[in-house]
Amino acid sequence: SAANATELRLSHQWSTGDVRHKVAEMIATDVAAAGVDLDIKIFPSESLLKAREQYNPLSRGQVDMIVYPLSYSGGQRGEYNLTLMPGLVKNHDHAARLNESPFMEEIEKILAEDDIMVLVHGYLAGGFASVGECITRPEHVNGLSTRAAGKSFEEMLAAAGASISSMASSEVYNAMQTGVLQAVNTSSSSFASFRLQEQVKCYTPAADVALWFMYQPVLMNKSTFDGLSDAQKEALTAAAAKAEAWYLQEAKAEDAASVEVFKAAGVEIAAMTQDDFNAWLELAKTSSYKSFVDSVPNGQALLDMALAVE
Amino acid sequence: MATLPSTRAASTGGYLVLRLIKGLSTVCGWVSALMILASVLITCQMIFVRFVMEKSTIWQTEAVIYLMIGATLLGLPYVQSLRGHVNVDLIPILIKGRARNVLAGVVLLMTMAVVSVILFYAFENWHFAWERGWRSETVWAPKLWIPYLALPLGFGLYLLQLAADFVALVLGVDRAFGLEDN
Amino acid sequence: MDPLSLGLLVAFMTIVVLFSGVSVASGLLIVSAGFLLVFDGIRSLELMPEIFFGKLNSFALLSIPMFIIMGAAISSTRAGADLYEALERWLTRVPGGLVMSNLGACALFSAMSGSSPATCAAIGKMGIPEMRKRGYPDEVAAGSIAAGGTLGILIPPSVTMIVYGIATETSIGRLFLSGVLPGLLLVGLFMAWSVFHTFRYGSADVLARRTYTLKQKLEILPRVIPFIIIIVGVLYAMYGGIATPSETAAVGALLCLVIAMVIYRLWSPKKLWTILSDSTRESVMILFIIGAAGVFSYMLSSLFITQSIAAWISDLEVNRWVLMGIVNVFLLVAGFFLPPVAVILMAAPILLPIILAAEFDPYWFAVILTINMEIGLISPPVGLNLYVINSIAPDIKLKTILRGSMPYVGCMVLAIVILCVFPGIVSWLPNLVMGPV
Ligand code: NA
Ligand code: NA
Repeated sequence: SAANATELRLSHQWSTGDVRHKVAEMIATDVAAAGVDLDIKIFPSESLLKAREQYNPLSRGQVDMIVYPLSYSGGQRGEYNLTLMPGLVKNHDHAARLNESPFMEEIEKILAEDDIMVLVHGYLAGGFASVGECITRPEHVNGLSTRAAGKSFEEMLAAAGASISSMASSEVYNAMQTGVLQAVNTSSSSFASFRLQEQVKCYTPAADVALWFMYQPVLMNKSTFDGLSDAQKEALTAAAAKAEAWYLQEAKAEDAASVEVFKAAGVEIAAMTQDDFNAWLELAKTSSYKSFVDSVPNGQALLDMALAVE
Repeated sequence: MATLPSTRAASTGGYLVLRLIKGLSTVCGWVSALMILASVLITCQMIFVRFVMEKSTIWQTEAVIYLMIGATLLGLPYVQSLRGHVNVDLIPILIKGRARNVLAGVVLLMTMAVVSVILFYAFENWHFAWERGWRSETVWAPKLWIPYLALPLGFGLYLLQLAADFVALVLGVDRAFGLEDN
Repeated sequence: MDPLSLGLLVAFMTIVVLFSGVSVASGLLIVSAGFLLVFDGIRSLELMPEIFFGKLNSFALLSIPMFIIMGAAISSTRAGADLYEALERWLTRVPGGLVMSNLGACALFSAMSGSSPATCAAIGKMGIPEMRKRGYPDEVAAGSIAAGGTLGILIPPSVTMIVYGIATETSIGRLFLSGVLPGLLLVGLFMAWSVFHTFRYGSADVLARRTYTLKQKLEILPRVIPFIIIIVGVLYAMYGGIATPSETAAVGALLCLVIAMVIYRLWSPKKLWTILSDSTRESVMILFIIGAAGVFSYMLSSLFITQSIAAWISDLEVNRWVLMGIVNVFLLVAGFFLPPVAVILMAAPILLPIILAAEFDPYWFAVILTINMEIGLISPPVGLNLYVINSIAPDIKLKTILRGSMPYVGCMVLAIVILCVFPGIVSWLPNLVMGPV
């Protein structure tokens, strides 16, 4: 009966309108419909744990599932920095192939050391926005006060001559309004939720070519999963597979939706060419890739595995 | 009723140990105040570097956050020694004499219990960060055991001051809740 | 136990524990640990230090000690007295010039200080003795300053608005602007009452106009220059593209410290230490409550109490104004006992979804909430401003201070009613400056 159903707690940082909440909701709904006495309670909008403080509680089983940008824990497990690395992922279909690759198997091995498994793989893309001229090439950020989502991107932008301003995401809108910040690099969904279309002049979205991809999977505590009955495991795995397919499709739609929002606000839309992408990649190799290889033992091998994915 | 902090700092009745602990808490207060002052200066330096020199500001925001956390935790024993943690002493003013003393003792013991629990797990957390070499996920990437140290240190010193207050209460050198007898 | 009954039990235990005289922050930690232990098992206690750390891990919190330092630095000088004197010499055509000037000075000072007790002390130290000397009734002298001091958290900058902004993820800049006109409305109401009461008390001669020569009027002007430097400096930093609002607080703190040292010659290390240690004490007290309230709201959320209460109330389908009335009574009662920061942190996560579901504006609600907290500051049993007045004018009985401040509570309730009828008073300025939400 429902009274003694297994209850799982899922935590994430986004509001209930976000695609990542909907992924979590899909899993919860499907598992409930399967009638296997499994009940997933979702805690959205950091209502249980703060965005960056979910990994260790998951590892210790104090929360059962999280939707989480894995690179947040790159300071604990240097390898995770590869899940937010400029130019490593070319587009959403490439991201899907990366999810099935030996590279991701290595990442999953490291997760397993912390008693964590991946339930749903998924990458989201992002781009640039600026209050001045459009940003498509490295020389465009030279001298601009910039904020980037992710350490590797900050390293690359600094190498391009941008001055990096670290500040809370809640201050970005205000900082763009007054000119404290001149350019931002983050995910498609964040752009719209920060309402940056009101402040910027040009938006360079993720399109056929994109630089910014972040791995944001649904993770689960492995021991908790192992403790479930076979029927429960099956229902959860089936729900996760369905959610993963939908997540990929929505990730593509997210980019297009953000373009619509910026267009409607009268913001100029720029496109990055393959040549622009290559210029960034060359820069990334000497900055963020290098810093990654220098700081993570066995980093070169892992990077090669990721680069080997066609 | 709530009383203004400055009117009733901890009494030590001349006991050396109590005076030493109060002295230690005061030193914590100096460190805490200096940390707050440092965060004022670092923030202004950051604005200068970004606006006037147009250079990257990589470490300042994070350093200031950690300084604030450090200031809060190291400030705990200091503010306790000054009786500056605001409270609602509705029940204490309704009861008198021995009952009030017992209540004050119970309140101190409960506070010490919960502080001990936090201290224990805070130490564990700090030890993990230290042993595994955790770093913060930024370009600056400081070692996390440094800011995490504030938790066990601050709560530890807070526990010490609470224990001193309990002893002072038992010895009768400090009044329960700092209230006048009436 | 279902989450709603559990919520009732938590509320009851919280009241019992907090009334026992334990410090508010420790009390919240004790209640949280107790419920987590019993209903979530001992392992859930492991997270307490991380949650505490995580709650304080926010750059916006920096502005709390900064705005407190601004107030403490300026109130340790005679700047507050200069301010009301200047106002009085120029407001000669207004009856009751002195009390009007003191209230005006409170409002101006609030534009620099984020905390109410600091505002109270800065203006009251000189203002109260002066008013009494000139024959104003003690009730008006003490009550007007106690009430005027509460404007510190409504007129920006405001420590409680920052905490609300962080807790509800609303824009701190817009919150600040939302408080300006309601703050002026309150000053107006306070002034009206002060003059009316003084007149009724039979002190019409007290209210008589004083005249000042042009020389007297001009010679006071240089003494308000420091204020102009601070206000212009802070506004320039904030709107001139130099710094974000939280960073601006540091500029303001440094500016106030430098001005206290250079213009008011506050060089002695002992006096500087007094400013720093007073600010440290107030900041640590507030930040400890913020960290502990973080653990408390984790406990509420983890036991699904927050979510269940919000769902329950939105299912009630009462009239939205009845709902607002209930929320106001709840805030008022909570404000009687708890400091504003604790009320906001404990109530915001539960109340905000309800308020939004009933289609109230979160910025308007922030103002209503703040005025409720202001009432708490001048009412027993925990009325921080009353104790400030008590310590700067020890010969006025607490009873007199209380009797004096009660009519001002009436003004605040009236202001809440006015803001309910004309919500545009809150939204006009932020909409003008920042565009509609
Ligand atoms: Na203020
Ligand atoms: Na009160």
